[in-house]
Amino acid sequence: MDFWAYIPQLLSSGITMGAIYALVALGFVTISRASQIINFAQGEFVMLGGVVTFFLLNGVRLPYPLAALIAVTIVVLIGFAMYLSVLYPLRKASILILIMATLGISIFLSSTSGLIFGTLPKALPPFTDEQPLTFWGISVLPQSVWVLVSTLVLLIFLYLLSHRTLLGKAMEASSTDPLGADLLGISRSLMVFLAFGVSAGVGAFAGILITPIFFTSYNSGTLLGLKGFIAAVLGGWGKNTGAILGGFVLGIVESLSLAFIPSGYKDAVAFVILLLILYLRPKGILGSPFIDSRRW
Amino acid sequence: MVKKEKKYEPPNSNDRSPRNNYLIGFWCFDIIWNLGFGNWNLNLSRQENMVPQTTKRSQRDFRKRDVFYLVPLWLISLIAPDPYLYHKKEFKKKDLYYLGAIGLAPLIWSDPHFHHVMVLAGIYAILALGLSLFMGYAGQISLGHAAFFGIGAYTTAILTTRHSFSPFVALWASALSASAVAYLIGRPILKLKGYFLALATLGFGEIFLVMVRESTNLTGGVIGIFGIPWFSVMGFSFDTYLRQYYLIWGVVTGLFIFSKNLVRSKLGRALLAVAASEDAASSVGINVPRIKLEIFVLGAAFAGLAGSLFACIMSTANPEAFGLGVTVPIVMMVILGGMGTIYGPVAGAILLTWLMDILSRYQEYSLPIYSVILILLLIFFPDGIGTRLNVRILYLIGYWAKKRKRDEGKL
Amino acid sequence: MKKIISLLFVLTLIFMVWASPAYVAERPYKIGVNLEFTGPWAEVTKTVKNGMVLEVETINKMGGINGHPLEIVFEDNGFDPGRAAANMTKFTTDKEIIAIVGPFEDNLQATTRAIAEREKIANMIICPSNPMVRGLKQKWAFNIAQSDIIVSQKLVDLSLARKYKKVVVFHGAWPLAQSLANYYKTFGEQKGTKVIISQETHKPTDIDMTPQIIKLKPIIEKERVDAFYACTGGPPGPIICKNLRTQGIKIPILGTHAFGFGFIIALGGEAMEGVEFPAAKPVVFDQLDENDPVRAINIDFDKRFRDRYGVGADQLAGYGHDTIGLIYDALKRCQGKVTRATFREALENTKGLKSCHGIYNYSPTDHDGLSKKDMVFVRIEGGKFKRFKLPEFE
Repeated sequence: MDFWAYIPQLLSSGITMGAIYALVALGFVTISRASQIINFAQGEFVMLGGVVTFFLLNGVRLPYPLAALIAVTIVVLIGFAMYLSVLYPLRKASILILIMATLGISIFLSSTSGLIFGTLPKALPPFTDEQPLTFWGISVLPQSVWVLVSTLVLLIFLYLLSHRTLLGKAMEASSTDPLGADLLGISRSLMVFLAFGVSAGVGAFAGILITPIFFTSYNSGTLLGLKGFIAAVLGGWGKNTGAILGGFVLGIVESLSLAFIPSGYKDAVAFVILLLILYLRPKGILGSPFIDSRRW
Repeated sequence: MVKKEKKYEPPNSNDRSPRNNYLIGFWCFDIIWNLGFGNWNLNLSRQENMVPQTTKRSQRDFRKRDVFYLVPLWLISLIAPDPYLYHKKEFKKKDLYYLGAIGLAPLIWSDPHFHHVMVLAGIYAILALGLSLFMGYAGQISLGHAAFFGIGAYTTAILTTRHSFSPFVALWASALSASAVAYLIGRPILKLKGYFLALATLGFGEIFLVMVRESTNLTGGVIGIFGIPWFSVMGFSFDTYLRQYYLIWGVVTGLFIFSKNLVRSKLGRALLAVAASEDAASSVGINVPRIKLEIFVLGAAFAGLAGSLFACIMSTANPEAFGLGVTVPIVMMVILGGMGTIYGPVAGAILLTWLMDILSRYQEYSLPIYSVILILLLIFFPDGIGTRLNVRILYLIGYWAKKRKRDEGKL
Repeated sequence: MKKIISLLFVLTLIFMVWASPAYVAERPYKIGVNLEFTGPWAEVTKTVKNGMVLEVETINKMGGINGHPLEIVFEDNGFDPGRAAANMTKFTTDKEIIAIVGPFEDNLQATTRAIAEREKIANMIICPSNPMVRGLKQKWAFNIAQSDIIVSQKLVDLSLARKYKKVVVFHGAWPLAQSLANYYKTFGEQKGTKVIISQETHKPTDIDMTPQIIKLKPIIEKERVDAFYACTGGPPGPIICKNLRTQGIKIPILGTHAFGFGFIIALGGEAMEGVEFPAAKPVVFDQLDENDPVRAINIDFDKRFRDRYGVGADQLAGYGHDTIGLIYDALKRCQGKVTRATFREALENTKGLKSCHGIYNYSPTDHDGLSKKDMVFVRIEGGKFKRFKLPEFE
């Protein structure tokens, strides 16, 4: 069975993708904990992060770190704008309207990005050089190592943000117990506003990390967003740790399954996993405070 | 403008579902007819069945083909209004006006482009009608309806190109196959609610697309299937846009009457109960999972029908046409037309199809403008465009007028 | 006195009528263009449109065709077969449109061909033909780009010159790529090269081919192949090269003519170094032979394109230029009686028309126009396209 030979290689690329799914899932969970909205445009933030950095790097000729920083800021501003213009007026609408509104925003962002920045896939230069490192017969790009390290750093940063700063604690409080937070004077809409900014920033960051390895084009955001959502559900809906775990598990399972099925079915694997999770264990792997299994 | 208030009549609990009466009657008639006059020549070879009968038949043979003509007759019985129902005037004058408008419009504007756009609008109307029964009346969310559309189209494509079935037969086969798939996946999926149902249906739609793209032997993969013949019934082929227009809108009218009957029947009221509260409905004795499954299957059957007609009109079936680019517009049509009405999705379909056609003139800017318009419509008209449109505009004008007064300190 | 004035008046009128452009201006010849201005190929078709607009302006400045100006009508089909069909219908119902310049992408080709055949209007398709559509023997459809047969022949020549004994082919899942792979195998094995066509395929919109490459890696190592043929077009090309180099596979890479675009090098970066492929002449027009008639046309077109748009012309703008050139030539040969049928006749009899891409020859049996001589060998070196010559195969 010579497909066992692929397994280590697939595992390494799976872990890389898993980190990206984890970041996207984190973005989903941040917003939905604060406001019960599921933001289908999350994948577009990732796409925009990569595309705007490319534009700033090649069009405006800024140095790489500065371009990345400005791109993240721009995407955060877009997240804020999105909340203020569309989701704040719709804050009392039904689930269906919210889903359609976020889908509409997703279409808008992807088509506008195609209009402004072009429709061809974009590549960014990797952080360090491009030669793959080979050990134990598998070749790993240095960029993959950067992805994992950066994800870890970002997670630590977010943890510190939510547990050590006042603003972060306010956001946590607002998500865990909205009524209690309201009584304490924490403005709910401000918290949701900030949550949008944080999740847009996390998404853009993920986009910059991933574009050197996998190209981003104007329509790659949609599928990425869906898979990130699946990862969040898989890990346990509503928990940050669940999102991260779900992301890695989804990335690894998706990658490993390629050893057994033709490569065209790769995208279907994520959705099959989703359907299995929803039927068998909707709480997700780690369990979820929001879903009551008895009702299913 | 004073509207005449109709006196409110409470529902009559003695009414019966119209389908049962006509169905039983028709089946009795058919069985007797075949017993009496039929030649039980179970000659099921497809070759004979598909050749139109030009020679004189002395005896009426019971053949497989008869089944395919039985089904539409049964469906016609569903459309016929139920005389026992308390609403004697089920169809008002305005229905006739709309019907007349639809019928006469292509004769007034004989531009083939107009016909083409209206044909597309009609197909979307069928889709939106099926979806509106599921979303509007039963209160669920389905973001994967395009998959049933695609199943219908591909079934027709495969049957007509590879196995030389007639398009009319393929029409019913597509509706049937879409319903079958809906039945299979329906029961587990419909246990979910809210966001998770939306996501699961989205996932199912995506899985369908991937399977279509990968199985190159069956569906032609990314290329799709070509050369689907025009829709034809007994030699009359619908090849020009004008004929297709009448075909599609005839089907829409039939399904419209069917839906109207449906919502006035027991099933329709059960749907409303389920949409209001599933627990309360099940406490009254409504079998909630079964009702949801029935309406899901029905919506899928509509979509399969629409898909079959779409394949015959486009004469190609291509996986790109059955993704989110169809699902998002039809859900918007249901929402914008007003959830929970029957005219709503049809009007929404016409509106959005024309919008997409007008915007295509702007080439690259069409999608961004389209999405902005959709978002604006969602913000300002979440109940649908038709509902209280005049009231809303008057309110906005009044608000603006009062604003000036307020600024001047008078209010 | 009155008589003189009235005589002068009549003479002036006659003179004005005779000399006025209103008398000379005839009805324009309209050509419909049905391209993918939105969707994944939007950036690419913009260049084609610019090339066409430039050429039409030049022709009209020179007086058009016997005084008739040339006019093009652009419609977007958004990479959707339904809209492509709708645009075709819109054009055919407009009686003034003589021909339709068709889709850029292979998927839409079959739809528009069928409609063109039914409605009897000439359809000039920019993408290459493939065996499936050639088998239909449609009279009204013409292809402008180099056909898959000549690309494969040229590539086989290249493999022979480089002495590749075993080549593995990784192709896309659409008809053009599949037929390119099949022709390469047929022609290659006639000349003694062993060609392995991989089971794995990819889709035109894939942006990561690592899984397929991982699965191909054992085959490459076991069979010890000499070269890798990335039989694809568009963004997947450089992505495959990049994935190959990431996996540490160092064998030479062969490409198709679709590798001849600037964005390919931009996307692939360092991985594209050393990739060799048969290219259309506009890709390296400044490196063509001095006595090549096409070179002068390309240099002139590039200069005009640069003056007008600020960027140099490339293969795509060349397609735009050639399309209008073919239309202009055919309309001239119609000699005044311009209908859809006479246009098709004239187009089918195009012989020896020198254009950016080469010399076009259409005939009732050949609706593809170009031949093997209209392609050159190109290698990517230092981030640029460098032509190299193989003396025995030119």
